[in-house]
Amino acid sequence: MNLPLLDDVLFVRGNHSFLLVAKVRNPFALCIETFSEEYCQGVSEGELVVVSAPEAGPLKPALMLLELVRTYHLPLLVLPKDHPGSKRISYVLSAGPEIWTDCSIRRGTHPEQHLICSAGELSGIRLSASANGVDISPFPESLTVERINPLLT
Amino acid sequence: MCTVGGPVDMDIPPDRVRGKDYRCNECGERFKGVGKHPMCPSCQSENVAAV
Repeated sequence: MNLPLLDDVLFVRGNHSFLLVAKVRNPFALCIETFSEEYCQGVSEGELVVVSAPEAGPLKPALMLLELVRTYHLPLLVLPKDHPGSKRISYVLSAGPEIWTDCSIRRGTHPEQHLICSAGELSGIRLSASANGVDISPFPESLTVERINPLLT
Repeated sequence: MCTVGGPVDMDIPPDRVRGKDYRCNECGERFKGVGKHPMCPSCQSENVAAV
């Protein structure tokens, strides 16, 4: 399903979790900090920034996280595999032209930006930036999508 | 749900992210870049070269 997306944010909800999907406004270097290295990924205008809340929770911190990266270009911190802090992470973020949701990875421990941790109900979805929006495939019937103006929330 | 604290995980090898070394032609910053559009993390220039 192709959904138009410009300056607003898509609030994609399952029954027990959600995703926020937005477009990059201006290109920037996204820094990904791992235990031993820093990687920098150029993110282009029109690519996606996706926040996943695998256990749902409040919307506002998810929007804040999205804007901290999209607007203020804060780096992403990646925990080492098996780090005990993984279970404390309520929201995760990935950015790039195409992002797959996956419930079989540990939260906050993978630097790859083409994957994002999700709940099982949202796993296996491909989010792909298109010229005027985003392609979401497959699009489970249980999903609902709302548009959010981040400036008014 | 996501496997936080659980036993199941994808076995992603340690060298799963392979960055290339770049130098910014504008500010001289050296960095490890990933993806198709390397960009300097210090000055945001795309005028970079692989080293």
